[in-house]
Amino acid sequence: MKPLLDVRDIRTTFQTNDGAIRAVDGVSFTLEAGRTIGIVGESGSGKSVLVRSIMGLLGPSATVEGEVLMDGRDIRQLSRLEARHFWGPEIAMVFQDPMTSLNPVKKIGTAITESMRFHLRLGGAEARRRAIELLEQVGIPAPARRLDDYPHQLSGGMRQRVTIAMALACSPKLLIADEPTTALDVTVQKQILDLLHDLQREFRMGMILITHDLGVVSGRTDEVMVMYAGQAVERAPTSTLFESVRHQYTAALLRSIPRIDDPSHTRLDAIVGRPPDLRTLESGCRFAPRCAAAQHRCLTDEPEFVPHDVPEHQVRCFFPVGTPEGHRALSDNQAAGHAAGGAPPSIAVAG
Amino acid sequence: MAGTGTAHLRDIDDLVLRVDDLVVEFATPDRQVVQAVSGVSFDIREGETLGIVGESGCGKSTVGRAVVRLIQPTSGTVVLDGVDLGRLSSEKLRRARTQMQMIFQDPISSLNPRRKVRDIVAEGISIWGAGPDDGTDPEARLDELIAAVGLDPEATRHRRPHQFSGGQCQRVCIARALALRPKLLICDEPVSALDVSVQAQILNLLADLKQAYRLTMLFIAHDLAVVKNISDRVLVMYLGKICEVAGADDLYALPAHPYTRVLLASIPTPGAQSPVDDVQIRGELPSPLDPPSGCRFRTRCPNATGVCAEVEPQLVEIRPGHVVACHHPVLEPA
Repeated sequence: MKPLLDVRDIRTTFQTNDGAIRAVDGVSFTLEAGRTIGIVGESGSGKSVLVRSIMGLLGPSATVEGEVLMDGRDIRQLSRLEARHFWGPEIAMVFQDPMTSLNPVKKIGTAITESMRFHLRLGGAEARRRAIELLEQVGIPAPARRLDDYPHQLSGGMRQRVTIAMALACSPKLLIADEPTTALDVTVQKQILDLLHDLQREFRMGMILITHDLGVVSGRTDEVMVMYAGQAVERAPTSTLFESVRHQYTAALLRSIPRIDDPSHTRLDAIVGRPPDLRTLESGCRFAPRCAAAQHRCLTDEPEFVPHDVPEHQVRCFFPVGTPEGHRALSDNQAAGHAAGGAPPSIAVAG
Repeated sequence: MAGTGTAHLRDIDDLVLRVDDLVVEFATPDRQVVQAVSGVSFDIREGETLGIVGESGCGKSTVGRAVVRLIQPTSGTVVLDGVDLGRLSSEKLRRARTQMQMIFQDPISSLNPRRKVRDIVAEGISIWGAGPDDGTDPEARLDELIAAVGLDPEATRHRRPHQFSGGQCQRVCIARALALRPKLLICDEPVSALDVSVQAQILNLLADLKQAYRLTMLFIAHDLAVVKNISDRVLVMYLGKICEVAGADDLYALPAHPYTRVLLASIPTPGAQSPVDDVQIRGELPSPLDPPSGCRFRTRCPNATGVCAEVEPQLVEIRPGHVVACHHPVLEPA
């Protein structure tokens, strides 16, 4: 099956006063129609820059290389005018902060109907009827009355529902949701994630869900790509990832999260240090200085992003978790008292 | 939820903080009243960590601020180490505040960008002195503090906040808070602005410092897993009232209040089962300008009945150390 979206070797560089920063360094992935991919990473991992590169939303300080094929067309080559017709019916986006993606002086009804009138050439009454339907679908009570409200009259959760309704107005084939629930409370987060999941199935959209929270992608995506310091380090079907995590960073990230099913005062297995400065990257694996299993080879050679066990599970690591090499690397480090990059060899792990 | 009541207050000697019937109301420009905190009582004993958890608008941060009197409470008493803070003159309150220090959510904006780390950490000592019990050289004391929070004193002392990451700035804030050896440390969302890998470092650090300095902490956060990890006891708030108070493990194993159960069911946990089955919550948070009658959670509660609208539930002890304010608590193990 031909993928809906084929992202090939994206490299995004920002020019700053302190030199060039390669925020995304050679990321590729594909997404089939009706499927969801979660992109997970911490601040600075490049996850948001990646999707903004895909959408062409970065300013003049950024240089983007690579191809983004959607239905066989490279959407990065579209002219401004062509892009206008592409955004909305083909591809739409939901952002983290609903207040900044809604125009405060426009009524909600106007915000939703605008794109339908432009792209679908609907008349005023027809667009309004459809807007009411959409607001109903995203779970806004008494939608007909809400159309004449302004964004400030709604709660954060309701505003995010409105931005989702706006994104869905022209039935896009691909929806990109960038940290759509990070600004929201947990109970609201759950409602919004469930809503996106249901709508994605109903509309058979492809969806890219970007988050820093591994819990958010669990159970709500078909596959997950984990990013670190501008690169994809692990990619797998979601259930495979959580059952047999391979990359040392993904595993360490999972262990560092306080879990609700652990007893109170459980010592957290924190990752030492912090991500590398992208201006002054050293050779070798980018996670090596913080990795409990790092060997000398990890400091000099850069691991490739290659399949592991099954073709759809890709890993960028010489000593993956749960493999004989990984076990040996860790036990060697434990014997030596430290990893090659200087990190303490963690006691947990293995599994 | 809500309730008022004092069934959970303890009659013991080593209390560091006792808050009784705290009420905080704000006037709006059009003369309405926001009922931010409505009759909240709790106590913390020496060396204990009390977590306060709840969603935006539940009043948890207002409680923290009212305790240190960054906000003047409308009524209620706050007793720190036997001293009623509400009765102190402003000069004495200033002195009493050295005994309670705060750590905030955004570490970068809570540090003066023009000052060096050494001066930031030293400010309390330079105003109040190092304390009578302390004969050590102030510089050595500062270095010890900076080292205690996991920074290298040599490399850190003369640098300014913008040269550090968010996690490192939070470490500086913690060193500053500990400089005067406070009796009570109030942490208001101290890790929610940090990446998960850094969050774990700060939580471990707070746990270590709690041991080393015998800290008593009030830990305010929205993340239930974080609160469980750090706290001995946990207090759940909703719309200005207490829902439930229990030992950390007890609360998560046997959540009795429907709201606590909703919160627990909402946490996304990678690959783990939620301790509670899927509980749905309806509707929107009511306005604190006009909170519901009776139990404040009743408009969204799956178990609500007629009585919930009429009678406000009081905090009742359902097992030792576990109180809940609900007419229909869930008492079976989940």
